[in-house]
Amino acid sequence: MLVYLPIAEMSVDAFLIVGIGLMVGLLSGMFGVGGGFLMTPLLIFIGVPSSVAVATSANQTMGASVSGLIAHWRRGNVDAKMGGVLTAGGLVGSAFGVQVFALVRQVGQLDLVVAAFYVVVLGIVGGLMVAESARAILRRSKQMRRRLHEHFWMHGLPFKMRFRQSRLYISVIPPLLIGLGVGFLSAIMGVGGGFILVPAMIYLLGIPTGVVIGTSLFQVVFVTAAVTVMQAISTQSVDVILALLLMAGAVAGAQFGAALGARLRGEETRGLLGVLVLAVAIELGVGLLRRPENLYSLGPAL
Amino acid sequence: MRAPGPVAALVAALLAMLGAGPAAAQPLIAELSQREIAVTTGFSGAEVLVFGTATGDAAQPGADVVVTLRGPNAPVVVRRKVRIAGIWVNGPSERFDSAPSYYALASTRPIEGLLSAEERRRLRLGLSSLPLSPRGQIEDPSFRQALLDLKTDQRLYAEEPGGVTLMGDRLFHARLFLPAAVIPGQYRVDILLLRDGRVIAERDLPLTVLRAGTSAEIWRIAREEPFGYGLAAVMLAALAGWVGSVLFRR
Repeated sequence: MLVYLPIAEMSVDAFLIVGIGLMVGLLSGMFGVGGGFLMTPLLIFIGVPSSVAVATSANQTMGASVSGLIAHWRRGNVDAKMGGVLTAGGLVGSAFGVQVFALVRQVGQLDLVVAAFYVVVLGIVGGLMVAESARAILRRSKQMRRRLHEHFWMHGLPFKMRFRQSRLYISVIPPLLIGLGVGFLSAIMGVGGGFILVPAMIYLLGIPTGVVIGTSLFQVVFVTAAVTVMQAISTQSVDVILALLLMAGAVAGAQFGAALGARLRGEETRGLLGVLVLAVAIELGVGLLRRPENLYSLGPAL
Repeated sequence: MRAPGPVAALVAALLAMLGAGPAAAQPLIAELSQREIAVTTGFSGAEVLVFGTATGDAAQPGADVVVTLRGPNAPVVVRRKVRIAGIWVNGPSERFDSAPSYYALASTRPIEGLLSAEERRRLRLGLSSLPLSPRGQIEDPSFRQALLDLKTDQRLYAEEPGGVTLMGDRLFHARLFLPAAVIPGQYRVDILLLRDGRVIAERDLPLTVLRAGTSAEIWRIAREEPFGYGLAAVMLAALAGWVGSVLFRR
């Protein structure tokens, strides 16, 4: 069934889009991430313009994260104060990111910049995840213990604030900076950024694992909402029809994914996610290095 | 004959036209299967049937017919990728200010054999004779060729020698395809009757491509009320997420 996407100005098979949503939803439910990092490249791959893919993916990620946030909120797993600080940083970062995005689009290098960000960010994150889970699996067999919370230079920073739910008394500067960085990436890559936010919150901020997912979803929902509105204003490339089709698939897929994920062990899950993230980075990296089939490309004069 | 239905209708329409008094004074009579194409949510392209007949003195054997359909101009940029430090990036570019967003030409025979190169350029007939107004400093014909090739791949440019079917030396019809990527606006169909390298009769007909229905509304709101549109997109996503959490009780 062909559907005309009013903003992308192309007609696509609705079942293909719902299928992509379903698949990404399945993986996101399995690994507990938003899945934007898979959604954007897949949309670009089927011919959706980069700008529409990024902006719409942010919109879709927001919808997918809302249901997760509601579930975690009900169980009291959200540190709203920490979420608020992360969001404040995220809003600044994403506002800056959307401006960079619009500028890069104007000079005709958007495809390259989006792909380069994916290669670098996913390459680093995927590599770290694989290494970390490999180490964890090894450690399990050696029965080594690791300290949960280490003190380093970060804890000497000023503007300390008490985060009761996270049982932390730390400076607001690190969470603000983390929020800022993730917000920037959210605008450029069309992702929620959970795959960076979650490890950063655990390893850098020392937030207890119980509230990490809920709190990161808090930040993701508000930042992707802001990105959606800002992209709608500055690049007019949010396609609601595309977003709705993707969400229809993703919501259903996430349920099956969550059931599947429950059967996997923590280290294996993280290792698998790392392999997936690395695979996307390598695929896009090869695309940048390989001689393109057609050296010429066509774009609207902006 | 691919589809007897439309052709039978065509013949009936032509007979009706011939019967009409004042119209018979024109050497060339033509009509389109539709004067308006609506781009709706279900739009996946459209086919326009151009049909007509030569009358009076013009209706003698040996004439050729050329039909063109031209969309509104839309400036485009053609970019060429170059390799910098092992990575393929967009390098030099050329901007074409008067490239038509859509251009299709159908003729009874290859257009090169019907008119001289000067005549084709004067009449802007055929892809090789389209004035595209490159703006750039770089005089590189490969950019122009790339534009024609890329647009042809997208079916936005087409040249079909043999695309016009003549019946009994005077009745003609051609089918032109507009892909889903056509932009809305005022299109124009030109029909030329040629003999011995000269245009002996011509006729033009307007065709309107317009956005209609839900997709038109969405597009309009996204352009005119971007803030409201963004908020609505956020609300919709939140609603979808909430419905999902209720449906599945995560």
